[in-house]
Amino acid sequence: MIVSKRKPLKELENLIRNYESFFLVGCAECATLCGSGDDEALLSIKEWITKSGKTVTGWFTPKVGCQILGTKRQINQYKESLNQAQCILVLSCGAGAQTITELFEDKPVIPVNDTLFIGNMRRFREFEERCRACGECLLGITNICVITLCPKSMLNGPCGGYKNGKCEVNPELRCVWIVAYEILEKRKLLEKFYENLHGPKDWSKSNSPRALRIEGKD
Amino acid sequence: MNFKEKLNKGKFVVTVEITPPRGPDPLKLIEKIKELRNLVDAVNFTDNPSAKLRMCSMAACKLSLDLGLEPVLQITCRDRNRIAIQSDLLGAHALGIRNLLLMTGDHPIVGDHKEAKAVYDIDSSILIKVVKGLNEGIDINGNKLNGKTEFFFGAVVNPSAIPLMPQLKRFEQKLKMGAEFFQTQMIFDIEKFESFIDYTKMFDSIKIIAGIVIIKSRKMLNYLANKVSGVIVPDWLVDKIKRFSKDEDIEKFGFEFAVELIQKIRQKALCSGIHIMATRNIEDIKNLLSLIKN
Ligand code: SF4
Ligand code: SF4
Repeated sequence: MIVSKRKPLKELENLIRNYESFFLVGCAECATLCGSGDDEALLSIKEWITKSGKTVTGWFTPKVGCQILGTKRQINQYKESLNQAQCILVLSCGAGAQTITELFEDKPVIPVNDTLFIGNMRRFREFEERCRACGECLLGITNICVITLCPKSMLNGPCGGYKNGKCEVNPELRCVWIVAYEILEKRKLLEKFYENLHGPKDWSKSNSPRALRIEGKD
Repeated sequence: MNFKEKLNKGKFVVTVEITPPRGPDPLKLIEKIKELRNLVDAVNFTDNPSAKLRMCSMAACKLSLDLGLEPVLQITCRDRNRIAIQSDLLGAHALGIRNLLLMTGDHPIVGDHKEAKAVYDIDSSILIKVVKGLNEGIDINGNKLNGKTEFFFGAVVNPSAIPLMPQLKRFEQKLKMGAEFFQTQMIFDIEKFESFIDYTKMFDSIKIIAGIVIIKSRKMLNYLANKVSGVIVPDWLVDKIKRFSKDEDIEKFGFEFAVELIQKIRQKALCSGIHIMATRNIEDIKNLLSLIKN
C-alpha cells in the first residue's frame, strides 16, 4: 500500500493561511489503513479548522481516491458544498490529491498528508517500506528488496559500512545484505549468486513520469 | 620505480591517507605534500570521507603529482552517477593520475550534508569492472573510447568485519573483477589480520596493504569506534585505553601499538605494505616511520 502521514500542523497552517472555507476529501483505501484519510482524520482536521474560526463546508471519502473516473461519479452529489468552499483539502496520498486537482481545475487543492512510501503493515498502523517501484523487479535474486532496504541499493553484497551486522545508515536495522546473504546461504544459492556480477541496474526503467496501458492479453 | 612497480616487485610500500582541506585554500595541503614527498611511496586523497565536504580528491592528486609525490585517487559511488564517474576518471587520466582506490562510499546521512541525495547508481564491484573496461578502451556500455587508460586500480576490504564471510565474498568478487591491490580498513587485531591473510593465500600474487592507525587519544578512538563506518575497535583495546589516566600515556601506547603491528607484519611478511590512516599530523607519520626503521 501507499503509506501516508498527516503533515505537521504548523506547515498546514501556513498552507491554508489565505483561505476561509474548505471542503475535505479522504480516501477509503490506503490512507484509511494509515489513519491519514479515514473518518477520524477528516473529523480531526475539521475540528482544527473550525477552532481557528474558519469553515468546513462539507466532506467526502471516495472509495478509491486514486481512481479518477470513479471518484468523479461519487463526488458529484457534493457539488453544492464544494462550490461554497474556496479550497479543497485532500487527506490521501499524492496520487489521490491529484485526482481532485484534475476534477476541479478552478479550485486550489492542498494536500494534508505527506506521501511516504510503498510498504507493508506489520501490526496495526506500523508500516515498513518494501518497494521503490524500480520498474524492473529483482526480487527473484534475493527475495528481499535490496534496492529499497539497502540505503545504497547495493546489488552485489554488503558495503564495508556494516558493524556487527547492523546497517551503517540506520544501526537499529540489520544490514539487509547480511539478511540476503543468509537467505542465499540457506537456499544453497550463494555460490551461484557470486558467479556473476549483478547490474549495473537499468534506472531508466524508473524514469518518471511512467504510464501503463494494458491492451488485450499476452 | 613508481607505486605499481614497487608493489609488483615486492617492495614493502608505505602509503598514507590525507583528507583534502575543507575550503578552497590549498596552502596547508601543499605543505603536507612537500613533507611527505620523501617519506612515503604514495598518498591517497580521500573523496569527501564520512560524507563530509572537502576539496575534491582529483585536485589534491594533481597538486601532489606536480610536487612529485605519487597520488592515489580515491573515488566513491556516493555523489556521482556512471556518467560523472567515467568522465572524472577520463579527466584524471588526462591529468596524469594513474592510481585509483575504488569504493562505494559512506552514506550522506553520516556526514555534514545529511539532506543530500545519495546517488549510488553503481556499486564498488561494478566500478572496478568499469575501470577495467576503461583500461581496455571501452565505456560501461561497451562502446569504444578514443584510447585506453592505464589505471592501476585497487579496492578496499575490511578483515575485521563482523560477520566476516559476506565481506570476504565481496573481496573475492572485487578480485575477480580485476582489482589489482587492496588497502584494508584499520587493523587492530593482528590475529584477525593473520587469518585473513591465510585465507587470501588461495589467490595468486595478491597485493594487500594493511591499514594502520596511530591512536592519539581516547576521544579519537571513540570517534573511530562510533562514528566511522565499518571500523570495528575491539573491546579489549577500548578497555586498555580506558585504564590510562594521562593523554601522553595514551599517545605513547598508540605509537607502540602501531609499531608493534607493523613489526609483526614485516617479520612474518604478511602483506605488501602499510597504509597510515586517519592521521592529520605529518609529525606523527614522521615519528612512526622513524620508529619502524630501527
Ligand atoms: S526490485 Fe524494484 S520492483 Fe522489486 S521490490 Fe524492489 S524496488 Fe520494488
Ligand atoms: S550496511 Fe548493508 S544495508 Fe546498510 S548501506 Fe551497507 S550494504 Fe546497505
